Amino acid sequence: MRAFPQPGAITLLAVVLTTCLLLFLFQKIIWLVVPALLSLMLYYCLRPAVQALVLGGLRHGMAVKSIWLLLQVLAAAMVLAGVVVLLARAGSWQNRLVHYLAGGQNLLSQTAGSLERAFPVFQRMHVGTLVDQRVRQFTGRFAEDQLLPLALLLLKWLPSVLLVPFITYYMLNDAARLKKYLIKSVPNAYFEKSLLLFARLDTSLQNYFQGLLLLTLLDTACLAAGLGLLGIAHAAWLAIAAAVLAWIPYLGSVAGCVMVVLATVTDSPDKGWLAYASLVLFIAVRLLDDFVFLPLTIGRKLHIHPVLSVVMLFLGGTVAGATGLVLALPLFGVVAVIGQAVAEVISDHKLRARFREGRRLAALSAKREAMKSA
Amino acid sequence: MLRHIPIFQKLSSREILEVEELLHERAYEKDEVVFEEGDLGNGIYIVVSGKVRADSSRELLKALMMEFGPGDLVGELSLFDAAPRAATVVAVERTVTMALFQAEFSALLLKNKHIGLKVLVEITRTLSHRTRQLLLQEKHRPSL
Repeated sequence: MRAFPQPGAITLLAVVLTTCLLLFLFQKIIWLVVPALLSLMLYYCLRPAVQALVLGGLRHGMAVKSIWLLLQVLAAAMVLAGVVVLLARAGSWQNRLVHYLAGGQNLLSQTAGSLERAFPVFQRMHVGTLVDQRVRQFTGRFAEDQLLPLALLLLKWLPSVLLVPFITYYMLNDAARLKKYLIKSVPNAYFEKSLLLFARLDTSLQNYFQGLLLLTLLDTACLAAGLGLLGIAHAAWLAIAAAVLAWIPYLGSVAGCVMVVLATVTDSPDKGWLAYASLVLFIAVRLLDDFVFLPLTIGRKLHIHPVLSVVMLFLGGTVAGATGLVLALPLFGVVAVIGQAVAEVISDHKLRARFREGRRLAALSAKREAMKSA
Repeated sequence: MLRHIPIFQKLSSREILEVEELLHERAYEKDEVVFEEGDLGNGIYIVVSGKVRADSSRELLKALMMEFGPGDLVGELSLFDAAPRAATVVAVERTVTMALFQAEFSALLLKNKHIGLKVLVEITRTLSHRTRQLLLQEKHRPSL
C-alpha cells in the first residue's frame, strides 16, 4: 500500500471544518455514536484473531462465530464474577470507600489549615470552615447525591451498550460483503479510487486503535514507574485503572487523579507530602500524554502533524465537549482520508470526463435496448 | 462463473467461494474506458464476457494486436508494483469484468496461502508467457 497523500491547504481547512460539524452532530446522537465506536474498537481488536483462525483452516463465518462466542462467554463470566465478588465484598468495599473518602476529607482539611497558617487572608475568609462544610455536604449524602445518579446514568446507557456485541458480530461477519455492496453502486470511473479510499480508511482506523492501545501502555508504564518510585502500594493496579480512565478526556483524568491521591493519602496518612508528590506526578504524566505521547502515537499513526493533533483536540473540546475530545482525532483521520479522495476526484478532469462519458454510453445503450425491444 | 476463468480453475469450490468475496464485478458499455495509460494501477481485471482492446503510446506495444476476451487478464502488472498503467483499455463491446484489488490480493495471500499460491502461480504463468511473446516479438498480448 502506498503512503497516504497529504491534503493541501484548502482541503485541510475543509477537513477541519467538516470534522467540527460532524463532532457537533455526533454530540446530538451520542447514544448511537458510543456503541458504534466501541464496536469499531472491538472489531479492530478481534479481527486479527478471526484472521488467525481462518489462516488455521477455519471458514470465515465459523471463525467469526467462534471468536464472538468466546467473547460472549468471557463477558458473561466477567459479569458473573463481578456480581459474585460484589455481593461477597459489598460491605467491605463500602467501608473502604468511606475510609478513602475520610482520607480525602482529612487531606483537604489539612491543606486548608496550612493555607490559613501561611496566608492570614484565607483565615479571615474562613476557607478552612467553608471547605470542611462543603466536604461534609458532599460525603454526608454521597450515596443519594452521587451514587444514585451514577447508577441511573449507567442504566440509561445499558441499551446502547447491549448493542455493541451485535454490531461487532455483524461487522466481523459482513464487513467484506458490505464493502462490496457499497462499491457496487460506485460508477466505473471512480471504481479504483473508491477501492483505494476504503483501503485507506481501514488502515486509518486500525492505526487509531493501535495508537490508543500504545498510548494506554505508555501511560500505564509512566504512572506505574512514578508511583512505584514514590513507594505507593498497588502502583501497577492504580496505573492501569488511571490509564484506562484517561480514555474519557478531562473527566477520566480527574477521576484517575482523585483515585490515586485518595489511595495515597489514606494508605499513608503520616506522609502528607506523598499525596502532593502523586498529584504532581499525575499532572506531569497528563501533560506528557497530551503534548508528547498523544501526538506521537495516535497523531503519527494517523499521519497527523503533532501541532494539528493538539489543535484538533482543542477544537473538538470547544465544539462538542468531552465527546469532541474523544472523537476529534479518529474522526479527523477518517474525514482527512475521505477529503483527500474527494479532492483528488474534483481536481482530476480526466476522471470526471470519463464519468460523464460512461453515463452517456450507458444512456445510449439503454436507448438501443429499448428500441430493440420495441 | 469463476470456474471457467483459467486463473481460478485449480481452486476447489470452497476456495472459489472465498475468492468470490474479494472480486468486484463491473460491467462496461461499448467504448467505455476501463483504465487509462498513466493511471496509477490498483489491481487486475479479468474479462468474464465481451471483449476489451488495449491502446498504448509506447512503440513496442503499438505494433501488437491487443484484444482480450473471456478468461484473459488485463492490468496484471499493477498487482505487483505501483507503476502507472502501460496502456489504455477500452471495451470493444458490452463487457463484464471481475476486478481484484491489490490490497485485497495481498490480504488473500496472507489469509489463505493455499489459494494465494494457486492464483499467484496462474498469474505468473500468464505473465511469463506474455513476456516471452514480447521478447520474441510475436504478435500476442503483452503484459499491461
